[in-house]
Amino acid sequence: MWVFPALFLCIALGLPLAGVLRNSLSDISAVDFSPQFGIAVTAGGQALISTIGALLIGLPIAGILATYRFRGRGFVQALVTVPFVLPTVVIALAFRELFGSLLSPGLALVVIAHIYINLAVVVRIVGATWQQLDPRMVVAARSLGASPWRAFLTVTLPQLKAVLASAASIVFVFCFTSLGVVLVLGNGGTRTLETQILRQTSLLLDFPTAAITALLQLIVVSIALLLGARASMNATQNARNLRFTRLSVIRGIRARTYVFLVAIAACIFVILPLISLASGSLRDSHGWTLQWWQSLTELDAGTTRLGSPLTAVVTSVKYAVITGFIAGVIGVLAAMSVLSHRLGRAILVIALAPLGISAATLGLGFMLAYGRPPLDLRGADLLIPLAHSIVAVPLVIAVVLPTLRSTDQRFAVAASSLGARPTRAFFTAYGPILRIVAFAAAGLAACVSLGEFGAASFLARSSSPTTPVQIVKLLQRPGDQSFGVACALAVILVLITLTLVAAIDALSRKRWVKV
Amino acid sequence: MFSSVFKKIAVLSAASSLALLAACGSSQEQAGPAAVTLLTHDSFVVSEALVAQLKKETGITLKITTAGDAGAMLAGAVLAAGSPSADVMFGVDNTLLAKATNADVFSAYTSKNLDLVSPALKTDTGNGVVTPIDYGDVCINIDDAWFRKRNVAVPTSIDQLTQPAYKDLLVVQDPATSSPGLAFMLATQAKFGDQWLSYWKQLEANGVQVSGSWTDAYESAFSASGGTRPLVVSYATSPPAEIVYAANPKPKKPSTSVLTDGCYRQIEFAGVLRGTQNEGAAQQVVDWLLSPAVQADLPLSMFVFPARANTPLPEVFTKFATKVPNPLQLPATVVDANLKTWLNQWDEVMNR
Repeated sequence: MWVFPALFLCIALGLPLAGVLRNSLSDISAVDFSPQFGIAVTAGGQALISTIGALLIGLPIAGILATYRFRGRGFVQALVTVPFVLPTVVIALAFRELFGSLLSPGLALVVIAHIYINLAVVVRIVGATWQQLDPRMVVAARSLGASPWRAFLTVTLPQLKAVLASAASIVFVFCFTSLGVVLVLGNGGTRTLETQILRQTSLLLDFPTAAITALLQLIVVSIALLLGARASMNATQNARNLRFTRLSVIRGIRARTYVFLVAIAACIFVILPLISLASGSLRDSHGWTLQWWQSLTELDAGTTRLGSPLTAVVTSVKYAVITGFIAGVIGVLAAMSVLSHRLGRAILVIALAPLGISAATLGLGFMLAYGRPPLDLRGADLLIPLAHSIVAVPLVIAVVLPTLRSTDQRFAVAASSLGARPTRAFFTAYGPILRIVAFAAAGLAACVSLGEFGAASFLARSSSPTTPVQIVKLLQRPGDQSFGVACALAVILVLITLTLVAAIDALSRKRWVKV
Repeated sequence: MFSSVFKKIAVLSAASSLALLAACGSSQEQAGPAAVTLLTHDSFVVSEALVAQLKKETGITLKITTAGDAGAMLAGAVLAAGSPSADVMFGVDNTLLAKATNADVFSAYTSKNLDLVSPALKTDTGNGVVTPIDYGDVCINIDDAWFRKRNVAVPTSIDQLTQPAYKDLLVVQDPATSSPGLAFMLATQAKFGDQWLSYWKQLEANGVQVSGSWTDAYESAFSASGGTRPLVVSYATSPPAEIVYAANPKPKKPSTSVLTDGCYRQIEFAGVLRGTQNEGAAQQVVDWLLSPAVQADLPLSMFVFPARANTPLPEVFTKFATKVPNPLQLPATVVDANLKTWLNQWDEVMNR
């Protein structure tokens, strides 16, 4: 069973990377290492600040979502997930609209945007564990006279340590390898290794240095992920024994106020930038207008610009479906391998590696491996969904693994002992869960595909661009029109994503899937 | 105990995925001998009618493949030099030309109509491998209303930008991540020579803002778009683009103008890719790009000036596009030899 995902990773990831390395490392002697280390330190500092910020803001939200039942809980949970799957460039644009006159580009804006994007990672990952903690321990502490704050510090927090480390490592990786946000909101002093790779590949065409930089990035990312994976292994082992997933009703005016304030603050924080996008799509220099929405189908008609802006939405949806299928299948199989194979941990780390592989590297590698005969996949429109699958597989595994792990194997044993053949016994035990978890995983992969920008912009294509790429193209020319239509496209993307996330949540409310 | 089941699932899903791959693969049209693939950057656009006309006149079916910005496109072409995935490449500019020729990306051909191109544009054809198709100038754009309102004189040369009167007014782009940012850096290099770094030191002391991208600098920081800075590095054709892409009803004239000093000339070239199976048809496509019809289409499609002399310009260009009298330019080989050093020096001076 591990053969298929392994084969996929080899072909879809190994081959392109080998191509880049072969083309790059031929004259490695000329590479100047020192600047890359400086950038790595700068980017590491930025990622650390962003991670701490995301944890500080994400924890209270994760807490109320994990402990209390209240009206609008599902909405809040879906809402905080949306920034994570939106194109980073769109988020950067929204923040520039919001804070343009207050903050100039630089570290502060980059960090705020990173916190915004990664809020979902903290809320979802930490929330999943938090929900399983035994609430009676907090009750006991409170009845012994501990304040809510003290109860949190001495009872809840220690139990969350492992999952906090795991969430932090993932957030750190995302901020460390950030590209879109840094390009739009940075000021040159906030570079990441990813922007360096972009500069080396597409400006200096210095492939050896680019390969070394990509390798350096991969090393840092692997270390961070390994630390996180170790923590999460321990965390799930603890959590397996204790499963309290019942939410409690909010009691007392103070708790009520607290939950209300946190929920409202979270909504405002998430919605405000989205509203600035929506208003951008409905305004021109004269006031309110619908013309940008009307020109969605007409703009650039009659040119070779590969379709109207709306065509890009169709392209994106198509790629998202293919990505959902490929990444869903591969991710679920890989997660099953991690569980059942004795080299599970190694498989896990390899399968998570794409998180740290630069979009520019991936794009170039794909071009080398599949961009020309005999294996020219461009005409088949498969390159981009294939690249998206590579990016999405780690997240699918992250979703599927805890769910499969917490499934009671005794069902299968019972079924076999009652005379079921292995196939039948397997489906008795895992079937119902797999069905749901596979859909949730595919949905998540589709979300990733909808928002992915880096690899899609780098890959050669002969059909309409994806929506994020189209948005960026529109933003690269002057005039009210370009901006308004870009905002309208961004709003459509937000709506599709929100719907998809809400659907996944509806599935997971069946208690089996913890996205 | 379930390994056999897992295996079955794996085989089934593998088979279905392969079938999907095969299905998608076979739907791909087989390109005939008269199909030419044009590799270009994301900004490339021409009218569809012209592509149809090419097919009618020569039988060539033009397939357009876009591959990111000019640099990303070239990176792919360099890595595939000699066994290209396309037949013709359009969009390499004079900044990157030497990278392309060093990697031997093109085969020897310049358009048979090269003599109709303005002389200033064809000083460098990479030793006869590329044909100039269009050009444009990267210049500082001015928000005129801002200066009028405050009774401040509009700057007339980039030397003035280090003066106290223009403190905190200019926004530029990081040359490492932005094409106009790079062009402006090269312009200062061409204009000030050895003194270019001290010019940047003074700009920094005078409060220049550095954005990561043109989008941020122009759409957010520039006062004409609602920001706070009335001077921004952009293109000489940005004012007419402001009119064409404005909200309805379109304004009578643009609210921005161009500082004609310190402009850097960008020339875009097309060439036949070495190793193509379609040499003859590929050459015809290069000629087509230089044909009167395509040349006349370029200004409104891509907001550039046509390379072919005496091509009629649309009204919005003749009225509002600034023709820069003496644009700055550096030889492609000089740029190639020094770019890395200059970028590092710029980083150092600007504390990046």
